Amino acid sequence: MMQPKSIDPISRHRPSAELVAILLVCALVIVAPVLLNNDYLLNKVARYLVLGMLAMSLSLSWGYAGILNLGQAMSFGLGSYAMAMTLKLKTVPVHTGPQGLPDFMVWNNVTQLPWFWWPFESQTFAIFAGMAIPAAVAAALGWFMFRGRITGVYVAIITLAAMVVLNLVIIDQQQYTGGFNGITDLAQLELFGIAFDAYGRSTYYLVAICMTGALLGAYAFTRTKAGLIIQAIRDHESRVRYFGYDVGAYQIAAFALSAAIAGLAGMLYTIVMEFASPTFLGVQLSLSVVVWCAVGGRQSLLGALLGAILVAGVQGALSESATFLETWTLVMGGLFVLIVLFLPKGLAGLVSSLWTLARQRSFRPFRSLHRIGQTEGGA
Amino acid sequence: MDQFIQQFLTGLSIGSILLLVAIGLSIIYGAMGIINLAHGEFVMLGAYAAWFLQVQFGMGLLTSLVPIFLLVAAFGWLIERFVLSFLNNRPLDTILATWGVGIMLQQAVRLTAGGELRYVKMPEALSNSTDILGVQISLYRVFLLVASLVLFAATWLLMNRTTVGMKLRAIIQDRSVAASFGVNARRIYGLTFAYGAGLAGLAGALVSPLKSVSPEMGTGYVIDAFMVVVLGGVQSLVGTVASAFILGELSGVIAFLQNDTVAKAIVLLAIVVLIRFRPQGMFATRVRA
Repeated sequence: MMQPKSIDPISRHRPSAELVAILLVCALVIVAPVLLNNDYLLNKVARYLVLGMLAMSLSLSWGYAGILNLGQAMSFGLGSYAMAMTLKLKTVPVHTGPQGLPDFMVWNNVTQLPWFWWPFESQTFAIFAGMAIPAAVAAALGWFMFRGRITGVYVAIITLAAMVVLNLVIIDQQQYTGGFNGITDLAQLELFGIAFDAYGRSTYYLVAICMTGALLGAYAFTRTKAGLIIQAIRDHESRVRYFGYDVGAYQIAAFALSAAIAGLAGMLYTIVMEFASPTFLGVQLSLSVVVWCAVGGRQSLLGALLGAILVAGVQGALSESATFLETWTLVMGGLFVLIVLFLPKGLAGLVSSLWTLARQRSFRPFRSLHRIGQTEGGA
Repeated sequence: MDQFIQQFLTGLSIGSILLLVAIGLSIIYGAMGIINLAHGEFVMLGAYAAWFLQVQFGMGLLTSLVPIFLLVAAFGWLIERFVLSFLNNRPLDTILATWGVGIMLQQAVRLTAGGELRYVKMPEALSNSTDILGVQISLYRVFLLVASLVLFAATWLLMNRTTVGMKLRAIIQDRSVAASFGVNARRIYGLTFAYGAGLAGLAGALVSPLKSVSPEMGTGYVIDAFMVVVLGGVQSLVGTVASAFILGELSGVIAFLQNDTVAKAIVLLAIVVLIRFRPQGMFATRVRA
């Protein structure tokens, strides 16, 4: 099983090109509202950015740490519910029962706010929890898996199973979670006196800033020593272990960090979509995230992000017509299989190899001239 | 006492369905190291094939079992040949490829057969109930239990008493040595995957009278079946049987006390805790990396 994999010359040597690309994309994202003068479109773009962030978080755990998390949407959903819960408690009394009880609880004959809803009265807590809960769940799951030295395939299934079960539990516990309908009719988020209307510029900037921050932060993380060790673990786990590193601890950390970013994306998604639903932690979305990552390039944070925007964007454009949407799933499945088979590093891998090829081509004449000069001088 | 027996029989029945679905998954994973995420879709295909043969040709469930097995097995062979054999040294990618295949199958069935629930008629002869130790139980469930044990026995014999099985075991032990002795690994892999897929198809056909048939039905099965494989340990057919019935009884009891969802959650938690301390499963005697 332990075939020496083709080792990617770890990115430390070529930081400039990728960093430049990342900065370009970030700049583009920040100035986009100037170009797009349409609230509906802006909301759509914000949505894609959030999904891109989710794909980027998976790239961190899958592409960099080698942990294929098929349940990445679980962290996303947890974050999304955390935000939805606090915003639900803030809705104007028209939509709620006595003592601010959420409407779906009233319909389900719940008379008192359940205990785990209490802390969400505080928005600060909710924002903290939206990242801390997914991270803690991931760390706990990771502790069991990585301390048990579970390998790739098992991790994939366990994460998938965890997500499916949580999804079932949320649908089942309708009286506390809103069940199948999710949590709807939310108030607007207010931070530092700014109200975040889903169709407003403030929300777009909130998403853009969070995404930029997360992307740059994750990129910086992959450059730190810990980030390099994590990539080394991906390439050859036992070798890193023999060097005396605590492999499990690094894996747990990477897994939890990725979950925290996904949680943040989930919170933003609730703000942009104005509801939270069990589909946010469904198999469908989780599969899509893996597909985006695979298409964009799992070993590139930016690639995964752009892959998500590209694929989700195409899907969004096609979704005007129902027949297209149905065939789309079929096409996406096929595309996914083909990419896995023939383009394992995704579009980012393609771009990167074309780039090196182009550079080699353009430098060769100089190099050979140089060499000719040397031999002539010597003779 | 009656209630206890009733409960025990329910557990057995759940366990037999789990076993039916898990054998194929276990064979494929044990032999090829591939987690076949399309397994649930093979189960779904089997169920739809049963429905189709019944509605179109009026075939009874029992007579259609053989064609269903062959059909789904052939399909599995194609998938192995044209997708998985490209991924020999990338075990993690096989999970993605099979997932993609599963999604395509699901969507293809939804487009051709429609998304609505379908129902398969139970065979006449087995539609009554029988009396076991003073408890009424449907004959069909007894039949399922017997069928799952028969399929298990057949698989065991195939693995341990035939040349193909011996070759497969040789490949599992060391592929290159087996190949140098003239074993055609690719052919054996193809056959194994086809057999596992065929078993999934049979499982789907057999459970179809009990559950409604829908394009999404596979997802739940593949996860349950994987739990069985994890608990039982890889490469241990006997472990698969034992863990199928343990999980069946456990789910039955918790579902009786709480409900199905809680049962699933608790079983999952138990398995996550278990893999921390016995990553090789409960019944595996040896582990190969």
